[in-house]
Amino acid sequence: MTVQRVKVVRSLFHANDRAAEAIRARCDAAGVVAVNLLAGPGAGKTSLITRTIAALAGTARVGVVEGDIAGSVDTERVLAAGAVDAVQVNTGGGCHLEAGMLARALEELDLGAFDLLMVENVGNLICPTHWDLGEHARVCLVSAAEGDDKPVKYPDVFARSDAIVLNKIDLIDLVDFDRARFYEAVRALNPDAPVFEGSCRTGAGLGGWVDWLRARLASRVAGGEVG
Amino acid sequence: MHELALSAYLLESVEEHAREAGALSVVTINLVVGERSCVEDEALRFCFELLSPGTLAEGAQLVLWRVPMRFWCNTCAAAYTPDSESFRCPRCGTVGGVVDDGTDVLIESLEIET
Repeated sequence: MTVQRVKVVRSLFHANDRAAEAIRARCDAAGVVAVNLLAGPGAGKTSLITRTIAALAGTARVGVVEGDIAGSVDTERVLAAGAVDAVQVNTGGGCHLEAGMLARALEELDLGAFDLLMVENVGNLICPTHWDLGEHARVCLVSAAEGDDKPVKYPDVFARSDAIVLNKIDLIDLVDFDRARFYEAVRALNPDAPVFEGSCRTGAGLGGWVDWLRARLASRVAGGEVG
Repeated sequence: MHELALSAYLLESVEEHAREAGALSVVTINLVVGERSCVEDEALRFCFELLSPGTLAEGAQLVLWRVPMRFWCNTCAAAYTPDSESFRCPRCGTVGGVVDDGTDVLIESLEIET
């Protein structure tokens, strides 16, 4: 019996990444832009989705997958806001969505009925970052009330996002949020991602975010590369 | 964080590679684990020991190679590992750019018995 060394060099997320690629291909075939929304609990994920649905009304049909530990409150909220369809994925305590979970959820939705698929991940800034869901854009949402230290404490979600939304900007003067400290860390991690400041409560300042989504949707409709 | 899910993926990949190489058993699994990956050593070992009985990897030793987050400072033309307070270069205080966010979790290699 001999001991032999075998070189592997494979990410532990390999199987998930393969499932994610299949989802991306399905969305591409249906002409759907998929967005994976990551944030901590209470940052305003569902509020951002309902604001986005309202802003895109008449121009883009929005479908939603709601990832949560339990319950279906968020699904009811997005349907009331005008989502074409929505499905709830309860992880039963799991800290993140995996591509396989999303693939099963998509069985319950008609992708042909949407232009935009918003996936609300489980409220957590750590775990969801590692799991590709086959999205075209990963969006990190953080609120001023959580503090300006979030990018330093949770670097990977900021480093790996295509856009960042800073919510609850109406509270910024009440919570000692240091913009310089926030942007210094964000730019060190991710020099290119746009940062949109706004308030999902008042609706103020969300125009830039909606325009960014519209541009992605337009490039998709034109058959261009969404990247 | 989600060490049980990771352990399941780990075992699947290890068994696939071990079988391809004609292994009778797996002696050692060398993992590269980023210091900012939030993977906890003890939890990963615990979950692995829970799932590995009856597989080729039963009894295998898990060796974790921790790799830090790395930044590059343009002013000093040198790499550095930032502390937990900010991303500033410890030498000159300017903010560099991220080179490795330290979140990889990779199977680097296996040692197998054939």
